[in-house]
Formats: sequence, C-alpha cells, structure tokens
Amino acid sequence: MRFIKDKINTLLVFLPSLILVGYFVYASIGWNAIVSLSDWKGLRPSYNIVGLSQYAYLSHDPVFWTSLENNLLLISLFVPGSLFLGLFLAILLDAKVRAENTFRTIYLLPFALSFVITAALWAWMYNPSIGVINTLFEKIGLGFLKSGWTTDSSIAMYSVILALIWQFSGYTMLVFLAGIRSIPESQIMAARVDGASSLNLYKRIVIPQLKFSALAAFVVLMVFALKAFDFIFILTGGGPGYSTYVLPLMMYRETFSMTHFAYGAAIATLLFVIVMMVVVPYLYMSSRRGKE
Amino acid sequence: MKAVMKSLVLAGEAPDAFQMHAGYEGKPYFDAGYLDPISDLWKEEGWEAAIPKVVQDMVKFNGEYYAVPVNIHRVNVVWYNKAVLDANGIDPATLTNWDAFFAACDKLVAAGIAHPISLGDVGKWTDTHVLEQIIAGEGIGFYEDWVNGKVTSATDPKLVHALETFKKYLGYVNPDHAALTWDEATAMVIRGDAAFNVMGDWANGEFYVAGKEYGKDYGTFPTPGTAGMYGLCIDCFQHPKGVKHPENSLKWLRVVGSKDGQDAFNPIKGSIPARTDADVTKYGPYQKAAIADFKAATYMYPSVAHGSGAPEAFTAKLDDIMSAFVDTRDVSAAAKALTDAITAASADYTIVWKLH
Repeated sequence: MRFIKDKINTLLVFLPSLILVGYFVYASIGWNAIVSLSDWKGLRPSYNIVGLSQYAYLSHDPVFWTSLENNLLLISLFVPGSLFLGLFLAILLDAKVRAENTFRTIYLLPFALSFVITAALWAWMYNPSIGVINTLFEKIGLGFLKSGWTTDSSIAMYSVILALIWQFSGYTMLVFLAGIRSIPESQIMAARVDGASSLNLYKRIVIPQLKFSALAAFVVLMVFALKAFDFIFILTGGGPGYSTYVLPLMMYRETFSMTHFAYGAAIATLLFVIVMMVVVPYLYMSSRRGKE
Repeated sequence: MKAVMKSLVLAGEAPDAFQMHAGYEGKPYFDAGYLDPISDLWKEEGWEAAIPKVVQDMVKFNGEYYAVPVNIHRVNVVWYNKAVLDANGIDPATLTNWDAFFAACDKLVAAGIAHPISLGDVGKWTDTHVLEQIIAGEGIGFYEDWVNGKVTSATDPKLVHALETFKKYLGYVNPDHAALTWDEATAMVIRGDAAFNVMGDWANGEFYVAGKEYGKDYGTFPTPGTAGMYGLCIDCFQHPKGVKHPENSLKWLRVVGSKDGQDAFNPIKGSIPARTDADVTKYGPYQKAAIADFKAATYMYPSVAHGSGAPEAFTAKLDDIMSAFVDTRDVSAAAKALTDAITAASADYTIVWKLH
C-alpha cells in the first residue's frame, strides 16, 4: 500500500514538468516532423501531406550537401580539437600552480561570454587589412602567416572552427579538471612511490580514468557542432558564398527568409535524427555503466 | 526583424502598422490574407494624383492598394570623392557607360589608387545591389524581363554580359570586401581611399555625418548605363487585418501619405518623398537633386536587392549566389545558378511589372 502511494506521489511530483516538456519539446518535435511531410510554403499554414517529397528535394539540393559537409568538417576538427586543448589545459592547471584560480577563470571566460559578442570580436580580429591577428603577425615578423581568414572561402570554415575551439576549450578544460581531481590521491601517490615519471603517470593512470569525462564532453561538443548557428551567422553569415554554410543556417534561411516552412522542417527533422544517433548510444552506455 | 514580424503576424499579434518595402516583400502577408485593402483610403486622400505610376504599382496586389509609400530611396547611385577625381582629371559627367567608367578606374590605378572602387559585402546583399544596377544598365526591357522571371536561359547574352561586367568591376575592388560592411565601404570613399562606391542614397547620411558637402567634397551620378532611370527602394506602411486599433492604423496611414507628413519625415531620413508635390526647400542639396531626377525620370524600376522587385525566395538565394560569384568570379556557374533559382521560384512570380 505504502509502496503504491509512494509511486503515485512520485508521479504527481514529476507531472508538471512532464507535461511542459512533453508539450513544448516532444510534441513540437512531432509536429515539426508532420510539417516536414506537408507542402507548407508562405505565411498561411498548409497541412497537405505530400509524403517524403521535401526530403527528396533536399537530397538534390547542392546547398544541403555543402552544409552537411561543413557540419561534418566541424565535427571532425572542432570536437577533437576542443577535447585535446581542454585536456592539455586541465593537465597544466592540475600542476597546482600558485595562481590556479586566476588561470582557471581566464581559460573559462570565453565560454561564459555570449556567442554573439565573441563572434563579432572574432570578425574584427579576422579582418585581413586592419584586424588584430594579421597586424600582429606583420609586427612580429611572421607576415607570411597572414591570410584572408573568414574572407577567403578556401579557409573560412577552418577559421570558424579555430574560433569555436577557443570558445569551448574552457568548458572541456573544466570537465577534465573535475575528472582529474576525482582520481583518488592514493593512486597518484602509489604511482610516484613506484617511481613513475610524470609522463607515465598521466599516460597510465590519469588519462584512462578520464574516459567518462571525455565522453560527457564529447556528447556536448557533438550536439553543439550540429546545432551551431548564432556564432557562424554573426561571424560569416554563411559566406563567402556557401563556404561556411551549416545545416542550422540553411534551415533558418529557408524557413524565415524564404518562408519555405515545410522544407525547413525537413532539415530540422533530419538534424534531430542525426543528433539522436549521437545521444542515444551515450545514454544507453551511461545507464548501463550506472547499473554496474 | 523580418523574421520576428512574420512570427508576430502568424501569431495574430501584428502591430497596428509596420514598415516594409513595397513590392514582393509584402506578398507573403498578402497571400496569407493578413493585409486589408485600402483603395478607399487612396481615393479619399487623392494620392493617385501625387504619386507616380510605378510607385503605385509597387503597393498594389491584384489591382487593389494595400500600402502607403512614405519615401523613395534611389539605388542606382555612384558616390565619388570629388578631390580624388579632380586630382586625376576625371569628369564624372562623362562616365555614362561601363567602358568609360572602367577607363577612369584604369587611370586611377595608374595614378596609384590600387582599388578605385570600394565594396563592403558583409551581409551579402551589397553584391546583389551592384548586380541589379548593372542589369538595369543593360536596358529597361531586360530588367523588366528579369523581374518578371523571364530570364531563364543561362546563356542569355545580356545576362552573361552583365556578369562579365560585374567580373571586370570586381577587378578594381578592395580585396578585404568580405570583412567590410556597406558603410565601411562608403567610409573608404569619404576618406579618399577609394574613388567610387555604388550604394543606395541612404549612404548620403554617412557623408552628412562626416561633415562633407554635396558638390564640394563628394558627388553622385547614376550608375553607368542607367541615366534617366530611377531605381526604387520604397518604405511603406500597410493596414494589417484584425489589428487592435484599426482607426489609429488608418490615421497613421493618412499622416504617412500626406504632404506634411512626408516633408517632415524625409529630410531627416535622407530619402525623398513618394509624392511629387514635395516642398523642395526643406531638403538638403543631394535630396534636391534627387527630387529633380525623380520628377524627370524616364523609367523607374523596383529594386530586387531590397525585396521589392522579385520574390523573397529568389532574392535570398540570389544573395548567396552573388556572394559565391564575388568569391569565385565564375560567370557561367553564376548564370546557371541564377537562372535555376528563377525557374525554381517561377510559381512565386505573380506580379507582372510594366516598366516601359
């Protein structure tokens, strides 16, 4: 009796948030999927179901493939880049330097700033003629490193990725630092007593135990790489040409600039599916690990 | 802001009036039934007598009036730095076609100005802005075909010629254009770092704020090939359906369309009134010249870059195509992409423009 009452109480406690999340998140996702099967164009909603024709149209759209390529490039460079830089910074900070708190704040600050602001700053820094980066290179004799950055379509995407790695490395550093700090001190001391060098210490003891932190950071970075919009929109607007176009940007353009609501919904649903392919295995693995 | 406005209108929370550009920009609202016709208001106020025909057409859908134009901005304007031209013996009155214009640019390059034309295409629309003036320079007949969605062949000689002209134009442009906004490009002309800039006449405000005098420090001439043509970018207000205060909305429209209203607003805005009976004494020197040109114009055409002349679905794509063209300078790829976009949006070309 008591057991059932507890269960009902638990359900009642969860009910408000279940309803809100259910309506605003999951029902909206479902509604969006239905819109993607319709032919809604323009400001008057139209729910004529036309099957998968929006998706078929998508598969023939060169802009879609360029955007997908850019997203995959973003994932393949941004995610490992942020992880490694974050790990490196975390290891440095773990060395118990005197001004650790200051350094931690400095590294974390970019992540705390609004993406819109940092994107505008990077746009100014990347300006090829009067931006800080090129001017600095010139002044310290590294003039050959100057380039068009985000104005050069062949390297614009890489410039964007560089700016994003800078923004996120503070977050990954924090995750790894927490992971390193949670390793029992006794293990480290035992290793040192056994004569392990610093390199071996990190290679054999610390890094293997950071797998879970790395996985957590990995999922967050992956999901961001798939939905990055505001930063790229402000920094390059998708340009020059289509060189920094990503799926969320394409979705925004199609839906709000061109009022192709059904087409934009198809892109959104596709993005959702891709994100699920990343998140679901992670959830499964972490729930299994929880049961161990 | 346009995205916000669409969301508000969709949600039934439209403000009593909101600014939009005349022409196709209002079409999504009209198609969805969110605008009320105001032909009766037009008759009452006698606006047809004071407003030119092409402007009237730009605020009509299906033969009924839906908006009131408050101002006219001209888009086919070349701004030049007078000191730079005088120092090199270039007379702007002779630059009536692209050959003469490019010859002048060559002269400036030889004299040490590496990039005589300034361009700032952050936001991409400035590229489309230049293209449409070049297209207008190919003749009002071709421009009319273009905005009526009839240019569908990637080998159309006038289209290819226009793109080739644009390609040549880009050879004189500053290499860091992708990092500059339009006003930063105008600033280059103000400083004398560049001689020419093609921009709508909202650029006049930049010169004014920098303390420059029209006719003394800077001047304007129509983009080569468009003498006697007035490219239109028009702000207008409309009467949304089911607004909370319909009487106030109509009162506002009366003010907006009145001579006093327009003469109060436009001198500050930097544009010229949509009415041809403006009190010219209230306006600055550039605007006086523009009003005279507007009255004497042989042809007027709706701007595509600013949402009036072509469906928004096409214009948004055109901005991307032009940005890619400015980057790759590939004429045939741009021609193909452009005509493909026109064909893809063909169902949206419901307005039939009659420009000549």
